[in-house]
Amino acid sequence: MKMKRSILTIAAGLMTGMLFTGLHVSAQTNADTLADKVSAIQEKITGFEDRLTTDEGDLSKLTKIKFSGYIQSQYLRYENPSNYPYNTFMIRRARVKLTYEPASGVAFTLEPDYQPNNFTLKNAYVQLNDPWLKTFSLWAGKFDRPDYEVEYSSSNLEDLERSKVITSLYPDEKAIGVKLEIAPPRIPLKIQIAGLNGNEGLTYSDAAGNVINAPQQNGDFDKYKDLMARVTYGFKLGNFGALNIGAHVYYGKVKANSYDVLNSDYTYNKSISNPGNSVKRNWVGFEAQLYMDVLGGLALKGEYLVGVNGTPGYYSTTSTTSQSVSSSNDTLFVRNITTTAVSAKPAIEKNFMGYYVYLIKNIGKRHQLAVRYDYYDPDTKISGKQIGTNKYAANTTNITDHYDYSGSANGNVIATDSRTIKTVTNSLSSGTGDVAYGTWTMAYSYYFTDNIKVQLAYSVPLNEKAGKVDDNGNGNVISKYNVNNIAGVLDYSKVFPQNTLTLRLQVKF
Amino acid sequence: MKTSKRIFGSASLIMIAIIGFAFMPAPKKITVKGSDTMVILAQKWAEVYMKSNPSVSIQVTGGGSGTGISALINGSTDICNASRPLKRSEMEKLKERYSTYGIEIPCARDGITIFLNESNKVNELSIQQLSDIFSGKIKNWKDVGGANAPVKLYGRENSSGTYSFFQENVVKKDYATNCQTLPGTAAVVNAVKNDKNGIGYGGAAYSVGVKQCKVKKDAKSPSYLPTSENVKNGKYPISRYLYMYMCNRPTGEIKKYIDWILSPEGQKLVVEMGYFPVK
Repeated sequence: MKMKRSILTIAAGLMTGMLFTGLHVSAQTNADTLADKVSAIQEKITGFEDRLTTDEGDLSKLTKIKFSGYIQSQYLRYENPSNYPYNTFMIRRARVKLTYEPASGVAFTLEPDYQPNNFTLKNAYVQLNDPWLKTFSLWAGKFDRPDYEVEYSSSNLEDLERSKVITSLYPDEKAIGVKLEIAPPRIPLKIQIAGLNGNEGLTYSDAAGNVINAPQQNGDFDKYKDLMARVTYGFKLGNFGALNIGAHVYYGKVKANSYDVLNSDYTYNKSISNPGNSVKRNWVGFEAQLYMDVLGGLALKGEYLVGVNGTPGYYSTTSTTSQSVSSSNDTLFVRNITTTAVSAKPAIEKNFMGYYVYLIKNIGKRHQLAVRYDYYDPDTKISGKQIGTNKYAANTTNITDHYDYSGSANGNVIATDSRTIKTVTNSLSSGTGDVAYGTWTMAYSYYFTDNIKVQLAYSVPLNEKAGKVDDNGNGNVISKYNVNNIAGVLDYSKVFPQNTLTLRLQVKF
Repeated sequence: MKTSKRIFGSASLIMIAIIGFAFMPAPKKITVKGSDTMVILAQKWAEVYMKSNPSVSIQVTGGGSGTGISALINGSTDICNASRPLKRSEMEKLKERYSTYGIEIPCARDGITIFLNESNKVNELSIQQLSDIFSGKIKNWKDVGGANAPVKLYGRENSSGTYSFFQENVVKKDYATNCQTLPGTAAVVNAVKNDKNGIGYGGAAYSVGVKQCKVKKDAKSPSYLPTSENVKNGKYPISRYLYMYMCNRPTGEIKKYIDWILSPEGQKLVVEMGYFPVK
């Protein structure tokens, strides 16, 4: 029994020892495993931190790039019979704007417009902002001309299209040049001074109506650079609203491209020695925008522009030579004829005036109603009745002969006549381009979200009654058209239908 | 011309219907979004107001002043809380979208407090020193009378109004690249509390478990703590208004709520929550 007990005691002792040893070994192993795991996790965290640093670096580069843009898809229905088709779906804008800020205060902007059959570069400029006063910025490239309605993005336009006076003076809105902007951060003052090529979007034609400059290609037509300056100031009217006022001046020139310059009423003004000399494009504009809180946002905005807008002329010569031989009695006549045909159109400096007034009412967060009246008279020096009558014509034909009896042949006297014939066709008539327009536009916008809106607009252009009417009731200021094999005439002695209905869907991002 | 008349007539009817619809009374739900500095105050206001007006539901979220202003512009909030005034570019956006510059209502005042770890020997700093610290020019506490230890910067994200206000009025240049940005003043306070070399900034109401640093206008001026009295009498140099912005003048339930916030009862909560009243 004793032995049995001893064996049991030894066995129990051995087992206890083994158990403790096992537990110790196990605890040691667990501690080692835990330390390994912690170490492994630490390594992983270090790895994640490194990766995060790299990712943050990459991400910070991406935050320097900003994408924005908008697409405007619309349905149009025209009343003007010269428009064919009279209804159409179209993409008005498909723009993506890319801005890259490689360093604080430096930004590059590129904004192409993608059309189904066309690609144009709308904005492309470098902007340098002063990092100290945060007041000055210098722009170089292609950007909006400094004017209220021009700078107001068409994605925000309440009445869908800009006013006629603005689209006539600043076609395509953009111009190439440099611009200095001064906008102190704590003062609601903004000064813009720009030097521009000045010809962007403008179309000049020869005597036959063919385009002589390079529209849409940003080709600079002449050596003259235009200067534009704009000043705006804002007044806060407490919680009632705010009033912004401003003015801009355009001081420009364009190559006359002809030897004669006409006054705005189509009378002769002056001759210039060199067609490379200039005619003026000078005007001023005054603007005001009043924002009120009257059961929601209410805005009254307007701009008035007046000045002189010069248009280049055209001067082209073509020469041909011919010879005729005839004899009479004992004289042989040899006639060398040089015929020079001059096709010319004088340059003209037209006095113009135009304005627009908007009334905009926001109703709740989603609805907006807008009414606009805009007026543009491209030639204020002639009345409606004078259009078609006022014209300038200086058509001449000069023949000069120079005889030389210098030789003889077979007993005949040879008389050589060097004849020059110069025919000059130099004329310009007032016409449809001088007709003033007043246009009413009513529009409704519904914002589904801040990014998506649908707009319905109806514009009613009313042309000035122009020209004289004959006994049959037909006017002398007309525009002929031939669309879809149907010929017709737009008679400007009457107000003819030109209304347009537009339904537009816009998505902005 | 007949077609024009028909179109014009139909358009007029549609517009009348829209106007009628737009002026229908709005449901009694108010959304408030914006400043993280103001979020605890805005939540308190909403909580107390809803207790006495159970039919009104007020939803308050933070995200920063910039986020709130964006929400106001895109129409997803009725009231935007902002710890800074609207920027010119933001006003332009409001104007383009709603034909209004927005309505600004100062609803409280705040002293931007400089938070230091309780073990930090430094007790006061001038505006210039703060600018040098947060722009990275001063990197060691010994340069401002503290221990020989690196300065650890904690600040807010750039969507924060406090971030913009502090940058424009104190730092006046870019923040140092090593300034760690945190989502909310509470997170800044927490970081400084756990970092003996830390320094941060934010609304006075959040200043718990950290040391408030006295601030002086310049080296020769006396220094002040952001107390109610010092903020009120303008002695504390980094104080500001806190604003509520709306697209239009408030009407209906929103007007009642704003009027209540500006009433003695609403302003009493401003003080209770650690801010300073406007009146």
